Amino acid sequence: MILRLVRLLLVLLVVTFLSYLLLNLLPGDPTTQILGLSASEEAREQLRRELSLDDPLFTRYLAWLGELVAGDLGTSYTTSVPVTEALAERLPVTLELLVAAQLVALGLALPIGVAAARRAGRPLDQVLTALSFGLLSTPVFVLGVLLILVFAVKWQVLPATGWTPISLDLGWNLTSVLLPAVTLGCAQTAVYARLLRTDLIATLQEDYITLARARGLSPRRILWRHALRPSAISLVTAVGLNLGALIGGAVIIETLFGLPGVGRLIVDSIFARDYLTVQGGVVLISVGYVLVNFAVDLVYVAVDPRIRRA
Amino acid sequence: MKLLSGGYREEKRVKRLKILTVVFASLVLAACSGPRPTGEAASPGTGAAPGGSPVSGGRLVYALSADAAGFNPVTDQFASQSYSMTGTIIEALVGVDAEGNWKPVLAESLTPNADADEWTVKVRPGVAFSTGEPLDAEVVKANLEAQKASPLNTAVFAPVTSVEVTDPMTVKVTLRGPWVAFPYYLAAQIGMIVPKASLADPKAASRKPVGTGAFLFKEYVPGSRMVVTKNPNYWRKGLPYLDEIEFRILPDSQTRAQTLEAGGVDAMGTTRDEDIVKFGALKDAYTVGRASGMAVPEYMFMLNTAVPPLDDLRVRRALAHATDRKTVISTLRSGLTEEADGPWSKESKWYAPGDGYPAYDLAKAAALVKEVEAEKGPVSFEIISPPDPNTMQGIELAQDMWRKAGVEVTIKQVDQADLINRAVTGDYQATVWTQFSAPDPDGEYIWMHQNYAQPVGAVSLNFSRIKDAELSNAFDTGRSNPQEDVRRQAYATVQQRLRELVPFIFIDHLNTGAVIAKTKVRGIGQHVLPDGDKGLPLTGSPVPYHPFSQLWLSQS
Repeated sequence: MILRLVRLLLVLLVVTFLSYLLLNLLPGDPTTQILGLSASEEAREQLRRELSLDDPLFTRYLAWLGELVAGDLGTSYTTSVPVTEALAERLPVTLELLVAAQLVALGLALPIGVAAARRAGRPLDQVLTALSFGLLSTPVFVLGVLLILVFAVKWQVLPATGWTPISLDLGWNLTSVLLPAVTLGCAQTAVYARLLRTDLIATLQEDYITLARARGLSPRRILWRHALRPSAISLVTAVGLNLGALIGGAVIIETLFGLPGVGRLIVDSIFARDYLTVQGGVVLISVGYVLVNFAVDLVYVAVDPRIRRA
Repeated sequence: MKLLSGGYREEKRVKRLKILTVVFASLVLAACSGPRPTGEAASPGTGAAPGGSPVSGGRLVYALSADAAGFNPVTDQFASQSYSMTGTIIEALVGVDAEGNWKPVLAESLTPNADADEWTVKVRPGVAFSTGEPLDAEVVKANLEAQKASPLNTAVFAPVTSVEVTDPMTVKVTLRGPWVAFPYYLAAQIGMIVPKASLADPKAASRKPVGTGAFLFKEYVPGSRMVVTKNPNYWRKGLPYLDEIEFRILPDSQTRAQTLEAGGVDAMGTTRDEDIVKFGALKDAYTVGRASGMAVPEYMFMLNTAVPPLDDLRVRRALAHATDRKTVISTLRSGLTEEADGPWSKESKWYAPGDGYPAYDLAKAAALVKEVEAEKGPVSFEIISPPDPNTMQGIELAQDMWRKAGVEVTIKQVDQADLINRAVTGDYQATVWTQFSAPDPDGEYIWMHQNYAQPVGAVSLNFSRIKDAELSNAFDTGRSNPQEDVRRQAYATVQQRLRELVPFIFIDHLNTGAVIAKTKVRGIGQHVLPDGDKGLPLTGSPVPYHPFSQLWLSQS
């Protein structure tokens, strides 16, 4: 546990410093973004001093780090809102989107992967394989636009854009997250289904499966009770590692569907050269990524008891 | 009371919840297997004709392309979307009428002295903020002083030397010199008046705006929406008509248009010519409003006249001669816009015809380039552009045209923040640019006057760094002389000098910024100012904006 914490801290240090460095290498002056075109040079210089933008990069990074340790992520240059507040406002949207996308991906991948494994090499497997590759090769923004066209514009059964918080209306919340989650989840579906199919085919050839068949257990029972769990290790690993890809996808999805999430906040902040907000977002994502992968390690144990015994 | 979007929600709610619970899994599968276009086309609107008597009530959902940086006119930089949202709550001292003249709004009158270096602002009586605080001279003085102190306005408000209260409802503004167009500046962010409490707590005012406007702040979810509700005590009796407005922030232009089609919003702003063409063809279902006259910005290639090779007038003229504006317009704008030969369109009273602008003439362009090459060697430069596909297409078109004249141009993509910074500091040779939509020509003073041109490396508001005494004197005359014929002559000189000096290669008057609404939304661009004059329909760029207090929803 302590080792994991140390690792988390190291990851945070490296990631935040690199992002701080990269942001500062970006051309463009935050004061122009904040004050607009008609501000004088004097006004810009004064703001630069107020924001300590004239200090050396490392000094600024250390100052930011010191405030981070005290639990303060700073205040947005452009909106004057505390970064923690801005992130807290947006985090539920992104979290719900990511969870919903994973549920969609797993919900689709499980039956597809199992069906393909059971009929490996047969026409159904080939169709499902083609479908998986189709989904995998379709960019999320293309899929998103197509889904909006069909479900919102043509059929008018789901909203094209917008966001309703759970606290306001659960039904509307679910309808507003459905299309974005399906769009984001579809590409992951293909990855998960392929992984599950491959592992399941291997597992179904294990001796203990042959023994189970010899004992007269039904194919359904063998599949769901004895083969699926040990075949899910790669899948669980992929779910954890895919968080990064999902966050990347969420940036596009949030813009496409008008969702006020963390991804859009970070992108807008990069364009506005709002360094502190970007840094806050990077910290949040880094911590989230490490924690999720920590949780994945725990899930391994639940999925495959042999790991616990080992 | 019938709520438009609330009604829409109610109608759809049961249907959607059923669908959600019953066919969730099949829906997901269907979605993942790709679209199956078996449904009907987007349902048409009411088909009602424009006009009719305004009806009170209803809820409008209005899609914007971006969020506001904040709602405090003193501390936050305002863009079009900021004016749309904040303008429902906070009003300005001045407005602009349909003819482009300034008219009082929160001011009852604005009167200059003989030299126009002192303006007496009479505050409109009987107006109060939604907090109950009355609008008076003290509040106006506090606002104008806060604006002068704000770093946002240091250059624009530099001519203001003092603001004094002369009686409880009168403020005297003293200027460094004559400034006949001063009231126009009070029609924008600088003239928006907030209560003293907002001045004392600017951070709160940035998130929860308070003003004298037709609507009250209800809710703001950053990056998602702002909701305002009717101000029952609004000082203009009978207004507003709408009960509530939800501004929804939808940055992606394609999904914004799809949301309008799907009925998720009632109106939207856009800059896409394909939206204008598509929705414009559906006249029974949608209305399309586009800005015109002075409110339209110009699309151009801005040239840095302080760096080689563009410091050579022959090169600038050669580029203009080599630019086929017709081809650019037909390629990029579906032929929707008009060619520009200066910062003001032919629809504007300030437009001065003239034949000084270099016409498309490839032979003349090539001859000028050869002349320069003979003296200085090959002509080449770099043009910077934001990585927007449409903009890039325009630049590549120009690159090809200029190459035919013998000029080699390399394109460098930079993001918007970098591009603006380079323009301000002069770290560029040429760039693509959109500007010049002020209601009065004086609004362009700081962008072209030689006093605002600084050397490369220093912050310069005159981005092209054009330094011309005749041009600057004409701007000074236009600023200081109250006689309209003298001002017209001065701004004719400005246009003539711009045509001769070519700091900008003008392409077109970019009136593809539009507001598209369902036909049941009435009153967009048809508002009347407090003293009865018809207001300027749409203004601002890239997406135009308009007041909301006189919008209403047709019941038919």
